[in-house]
Amino acid sequence: MILVWLAEAALFVLIVAGILAERPLTLAAVALAIVIAGALLRLVTPLRSTLARAFGRHRTAALLGGAALALVLPVTLRSSPYWTFVATLALLYVTTGQGLNLQIGTAGVINLAGAAFAGLGGYSVGLLTVKTGWPPWLAAVVAPWVAVAVGTLLFVPILKTRGHYLALVTIAFVFIFNILMNNLEFTGGPQGIKNIPTLRLGGHAFTARLTLFGVDLPAHANFYYAALATAGLTTWILGRLHDSWLGLALNTLRDDEIAARCCGVSLTREKLIAFSIGNFFIGLGGALYAVMVGFVSPPDFDFGYSLIMLSVIIIGGVDSIGGVVLGACLLLPLPERFRFLHEYRLLLYGLVIVVMLLYRPRGLWPAGIRGYR
Amino acid sequence: MPPLELLLQQTLNGVMLGMMYALVAVGFTLFFGVLDVIHFSHGDIFMLGAFAGLSALLALAAVGLRTPFVTLPLAFIAAMVVTGLVGVMAERVCVKPLARSAPLMTLLATLSLGLVLRESVLIFYPRGADPKPFPQLLPAGGFEVGGVAIRYENLAILGIGLAAMVAVDLIISRTKMGAAVRAVAQDPEAAQMMGVNLDRTVDATFFLGSALAAVAGMLSGFYYGEIHFIMGITGGVIGFSAAAIGGLGNVYGAMVGGLLFGLLQTTAAAFIPRGSEFRDVVAFAVVMLFLIFKPSGILGEKSVERV
Repeated sequence: MILVWLAEAALFVLIVAGILAERPLTLAAVALAIVIAGALLRLVTPLRSTLARAFGRHRTAALLGGAALALVLPVTLRSSPYWTFVATLALLYVTTGQGLNLQIGTAGVINLAGAAFAGLGGYSVGLLTVKTGWPPWLAAVVAPWVAVAVGTLLFVPILKTRGHYLALVTIAFVFIFNILMNNLEFTGGPQGIKNIPTLRLGGHAFTARLTLFGVDLPAHANFYYAALATAGLTTWILGRLHDSWLGLALNTLRDDEIAARCCGVSLTREKLIAFSIGNFFIGLGGALYAVMVGFVSPPDFDFGYSLIMLSVIIIGGVDSIGGVVLGACLLLPLPERFRFLHEYRLLLYGLVIVVMLLYRPRGLWPAGIRGYR
Repeated sequence: MPPLELLLQQTLNGVMLGMMYALVAVGFTLFFGVLDVIHFSHGDIFMLGAFAGLSALLALAAVGLRTPFVTLPLAFIAAMVVTGLVGVMAERVCVKPLARSAPLMTLLATLSLGLVLRESVLIFYPRGADPKPFPQLLPAGGFEVGGVAIRYENLAILGIGLAAMVAVDLIISRTKMGAAVRAVAQDPEAAQMMGVNLDRTVDATFFLGSALAAVAGMLSGFYYGEIHFIMGITGGVIGFSAAAIGGLGNVYGAMVGGLLFGLLQTTAAAFIPRGSEFRDVVAFAVVMLFLIFKPSGILGEKSVERV
């Protein structure tokens, strides 16, 4: 148990040091440490198997340790609020990524409209709060249902068709969504919706600085904890769903539609359930984004973001719950750390996906084989 | 302008747009025919064709060649060779190695390859983020028939588009390579047993389809007067839509689908208030309806489901 915590703490220290290292020399030292740690794990078999066994035996302890470190993260990042923001963004991508993974990974329902469904969530929050004066928390709770409703209405007839048509229709949907948001009047056109009021919790506005146990934290820490809670809850729910009969039925549908139907799995029903649940969490991610940033505009939800959500899943591991978390936590912060790469970000994402698909199609954290006891 | 003339004018525009869409759609449909894959980077190959053609035109102008009758064929050939080779490369990298895995993988790989092509043009083409003005095809001028203004350029676009389509038809229906493509589309294994070289046929198909996309890209540059690195996304989605409404795997279906899509867009632009902004919404909505009610397309999809 101690070993698990030690390993997690060491990883945490390396990550935080990597984020905060300012001078090239410190950064190089941290990078060297990470490389050495990776090489040790890769080459020294006893160490690797000991660690793997320890993590396998003490799962709860590992999860608790991880949760504790995630709670402490904003405290260690106090000096740079920007990094708290990036961490929050990564957590939002965990939420949307889990939703998308249920659709694409578990059910094989190709959805390239992730950006549009997130946009539906975000715009719903904007419209409900700014135009009709709903309290933000209520809007953020209702907004995902808008994504679910639109997804259900538009896609039920098409869910049955073969995969590539669904890809076509969902891409077309992203474009329609963007054109509509750019040109409709009540959505504010290209300017979008500004001044979305922020969340409040017991009189504490989320834009104010947060003081916890005497530690003063930047305002983004509020959203960090909210996003952490959401991402944790989402991961837990979707992990349970993945292990349930629903997840099993969806997997069989993905792998062999005809065989699954022969075994009594209803194609439309299961795919619709998966699609709707997925859209709910994608919309939730978009809604939280809108409340956090305070405005939404069409370029926040264009096709490129669909591709980023997709990369999160592929790099982490298709159909792998842990993989989505890993993918989001790698893919979002890395280009921020290496700012000179920022211009090449999408190019690199594309290259990485192609290489991953060719040489490691199951991702960095492959989905395990289902084990039932 | 009275409605009839407006209608005629928009029909002319629709046919011109439709020609370009049809040329892109033929590529989608050919690839689907031989390998049963959707090649999602095809739209970006269309964009690459436009940029390659523009570079060729600029290079020729820099050398001092300005006669359209010399520069145009050269630029077209250069663009077609570049995209043809890139298309074959895309197939070798992203399609063939994944032939045995799930169709989802090919889809994702080609989609990402499209992203790579798009971003490469954005980053490595000089000032790639800006729209690039495309040189005029012919000297300005034209005539009027029944209240419809026809520019010489429009005629050239129609002529080149028509020629390309006739060429495709001839290649597919009259040549040995075309027969091989049709045979592979029907049954790859039987075709191989009859002595068809599968790899070479697939390469030829990808070369042909991508070269057609280059023609479409150049025509699009002449039509709009400018090209932009982002044009491949919409171009690709529209081309795929056109292939889908025509019936995937059916070359003539793709041509019909392309024309239909072009006409839909221009009619929507003419008759709906603020139609030019919403024309794509209308066109895509019709595509969705097609996929719901007639998923096999107008002329029927090539479809074999093995259990």
